[in-house]
Amino acid sequence: MEIYLPIAELSMNVFVLLGLGAAAGLLAGMFGVGGGFLATPLLIFVGIPPAVAVASQANQVIANSVSSFQVQWRRGNVDLRMGLVLLVGGMIGSTAGVALFTYLKNIGQIDFVIAVLYVVMLSTIGLLMLIESLRTYIKRRRNPGAPRGKLHTHYLVHRLPLKLRFYKSKLYISALLPVGVGFVIGVLSAILGVGGGFVLVPAMIYLLGMPTTVVIGTSNFQILFVAANVTFLQAATNGTVDVVLALLLILGGVVGAPIGSRLAAKLPGVVLRGLMSVLILAVAGQLLVELLRTPSLPFSLGPREALK
Amino acid sequence: MSRLIMVLAACCGLTATAFAQGPRIEAPAPAPLPGTGLGGSSVPGSPPSVPAESETPELIVDLSRARVSITSAFHGASILMFGMFDPPGEIVVVVAGPPARETVMRKERFLGLWLNTGRQSFLDVPAYYAIAASQPLQRLLARGAGGEILSLEDRLSTVKPDGSRDPAELAKFRAGLVDVKRLEGLYPAAVGQVTVQASRLFRVDLPFPSRLPEGVYDVRAYLLRDGNIVAAVSRPLPVGKVGFSAQLAGWASRDGALYGLGAIVMALFAGWLGGAIVRRL
Repeated sequence: MEIYLPIAELSMNVFVLLGLGAAAGLLAGMFGVGGGFLATPLLIFVGIPPAVAVASQANQVIANSVSSFQVQWRRGNVDLRMGLVLLVGGMIGSTAGVALFTYLKNIGQIDFVIAVLYVVMLSTIGLLMLIESLRTYIKRRRNPGAPRGKLHTHYLVHRLPLKLRFYKSKLYISALLPVGVGFVIGVLSAILGVGGGFVLVPAMIYLLGMPTTVVIGTSNFQILFVAANVTFLQAATNGTVDVVLALLLILGGVVGAPIGSRLAAKLPGVVLRGLMSVLILAVAGQLLVELLRTPSLPFSLGPREALK
Repeated sequence: MSRLIMVLAACCGLTATAFAQGPRIEAPAPAPLPGTGLGGSSVPGSPPSVPAESETPELIVDLSRARVSITSAFHGASILMFGMFDPPGEIVVVVAGPPARETVMRKERFLGLWLNTGRQSFLDVPAYYAIAASQPLQRLLARGAGGEILSLEDRLSTVKPDGSRDPAELAKFRAGLVDVKRLEGLYPAAVGQVTVQASRLFRVDLPFPSRLPEGVYDVRAYLLRDGNIVAAVSRPLPVGKVGFSAQLAGWASRDGALYGLGAIVMALFAGWLGGAIVRRL
């Protein structure tokens, strides 16, 4: 069954889009990340213009994060103070990101930048996760009763000014750090159409040293507002948000998420992280191949401008 | 559809009279004159190059549909152009999409990666271009019909580049433009077949792909005799989104900020509803 996407201006099989949404939802359920990092490249692979894929994916991220934010909020797993500080950076970052996106689109380099950023980011995170999960796996096998390391280590970053107390996260760190993290996630969110959870969550754990209980809820809070900002700005400046496409992805995600969380409950964490890192590396590899391979057609068309 | 049957019936009746009276039709009373309730109606904004239709037209055409409607279920369309002409002669039909400024970008290898390194804009590029003929086109055009009827290659060679560039380079960009458009199904490589019956009735199916730019298309039929154009009739064919798609796209382009807010509200509601449903399961 084909459906016409009014903003992407092409028709596409409904089940392909629902399936993509379900795959992203499955990941969301399994790993607690949005799955946008997988859905956006796949949307581009099936022929959605990258600009529309990114902007519509941001719209989908809102739905994804609002439902998990609700759950986390009720459980009291949101550090609102940390969330708001992150959001300051996130709002500035996403606004700058959309401006950068518009500029890159106008000079015809947006597709290339999207692909390169995905390759760099996904391969870095994938490798780090793979190494980490392998290391944990080996350590556990050798020495199952070993005590866990301390909560967090102190680096140079803890000497920055503007220190703030984050009671819920049990942290006393410079506000500049979460603002900076939020900014980077905001830029990524605007250019790549991802919520950024798969960067934000490790950054919160390893860089800010937040306790894992509040990480998911707080990142959902930040992602929700940043995705809304990106959706609004993309719609207002580039007109690339396709709500029909977004709605189909959301519907697919509703089906996929519970399946993912049931799967996650059955598999041990190390295996889950290992699986996820392999998946991330596979997507990065595919994108890299696309960048390196001689294209069948070295030409493409920019936007049409109707004559007056 | 009923309109089509009516016209065909009228045409058949006409051929019967024609056979009875001999090859020449003298002021045929039942002739379905264009613009008399046949749907095609008058031709607003038709280019001045089209010869005015005389009182006893040698070429009469109509389209099976007055417009191509891009609805939510749109996945391409097929429009039938049919008509009648005074024999002898051959029919050529040219479909041209609305002209627009197009930018062609060329990828080159840079440090092992393929990225856009060059761009060239062309003014007045037809969004769509297809030709159908009742005989192989080369044979018809070789007889000197040329002039107004243009093959895709000829049509594009008249397209003006924006800015100046080395002619050889320009030719490469032009060829690239055709390749991309062909891949999208907007410049069909094959010449369509115009079927002629009883040597005076003709019909041709005009297929349109799903990735169809909006605008007013120009569907033009030519009657050729001994390599000369003796008659030409043009029918405008508006292509546009209708219904839900049209409203959404219109809203998005008219008031992007409000559309963005709407998209946010939609996603919030869908996410909340989805979450509520999943938790019940």
